[in-house]
Amino acid sequence: MTVYLRQVAAIVRKDLLLELRTGERLAAMGGLTVLIAILLHFAIDQGLVRMQQLAAGLLWMTILFGGMLGMGRTFEMEREGGAIQGLLTSPVPLDGIYLAKVVSNFVLVTAIEVVALAAYWLFFGFNYGNAPLLLAAVLGVATLGFVAVTTLFSAISAQTNMGQTLLPILIFPLLVPVVIFGVTATGRIFASRPVREVEGGLYLLAAFTVVALTAGTILFRYVVEE
Amino acid sequence: MSLARIRWMAMVLGVLGVAGVVVLHWLVFFWVGTERTMGIVQRIFYVHVPSAWVTFLAFGITALCGAAYLWLRDERLDWAAQSAAEGGLVFGAIMLTSGPLWAAYAWGTPWTWEPRLTLTLLMWFVFVGYFLVRASAEDRQAGKRMAAVTGVLGALLIPLVHVSVLWFPSLHPQPVVLNVEEGPTLDADMLITLMIGLLAFTLIFFSVLFFRYGLEHLRHQRALETREQPRAA
Repeated sequence: MTVYLRQVAAIVRKDLLLELRTGERLAAMGGLTVLIAILLHFAIDQGLVRMQQLAAGLLWMTILFGGMLGMGRTFEMEREGGAIQGLLTSPVPLDGIYLAKVVSNFVLVTAIEVVALAAYWLFFGFNYGNAPLLLAAVLGVATLGFVAVTTLFSAISAQTNMGQTLLPILIFPLLVPVVIFGVTATGRIFASRPVREVEGGLYLLAAFTVVALTAGTILFRYVVEE
Repeated sequence: MSLARIRWMAMVLGVLGVAGVVVLHWLVFFWVGTERTMGIVQRIFYVHVPSAWVTFLAFGITALCGAAYLWLRDERLDWAAQSAAEGGLVFGAIMLTSGPLWAAYAWGTPWTWEPRLTLTLLMWFVFVGYFLVRASAEDRQAGKRMAAVTGVLGALLIPLVHVSVLWFPSLHPQPVVLNVEEGPTLDADMLITLMIGLLAFTLIFFSVLFFRYGLEHLRHQRALETREQPRAA
């Protein structure tokens, strides 16, 4: 078990180190996040609707698109250099590789969530409610579910000649629960509603995340096997 | 199953299915009573419901055969999964066109975010994804596996999508147009027509499935033959 965890940690470390050194994906994702906020400022007539009412929905759409942009390249760098062969033939079990990729993607998407929250606060003065821990829990659980589905499908789209173009068609139909429960739970936290109104959504998000993560761990081997 | 046998079964099912559809249309146009509140458009029901049923059936077969293929690696399971998915895509398209046509009159709007509508539309997109993965895979064998994974994950997550969509409208007041659902229980003539519709569509679906399966069988045979042929001098 400890060996397994060490192997997973090694891949996570490698991915995050590469990301820190090149900053490729993080720059693209963070840039897109801020740009979406800027475009939304011009896209929505703030004389007609109050941005705060749309806060949760806008935040989640930004996270989904920004996150998808970066996660689509999860296996891209390794494929370009042929390093994927090395990774797959290494003694790390295939599910370990999947879990490591999920963890490193989770870190990336969490980073752009911080960027998005900051950007929306700066540009629109969003009020994020008075339960930061609950907000972190909802964002964390929903993000893990989002990342679990997207990491699996990015391994699939990387092996097609459509590449990242294919990704949204594969993931968005299945991510509807993340959007529904993520947006309603976050929206209620922003409105400072009592905890019990958020709980239900959080549990269902957790159920989605558990199913997605388990299925991803089992199915990943069939996607990458030679 | 031999190729001749598959073809024969496909033919028999097809003839029965087409006969069933002819009978169905006769019943729909000349025999079954007109529904009181919705009037004549309600007759779309007899095409819409059977195609929806077949779509769900096809999705189930695709997911089951896909999972079995990943486990057993029997090419025949992949043929069956692919054939069922194609049927599902076509019948899903029938369902998704006949539904809004009916709804435009019955509900006054072609689309509402009613849970079943949303679910079926999303499921149809999973099928589309299934074929895009297959068609664009750089390696054919990998394409089969990845399509199977798409189908299996779709089948696992679709129930959760359904739960979430069911939960969603409860946040908002239900639109009044939607209450069509609690309509009258079916009269005997309507029930008979519906049953014949379900039977006819199911037969046609299995006929298409067998034909399609036979085609894959033939392709496979052909590939083997060309491989075995001695190289021309």
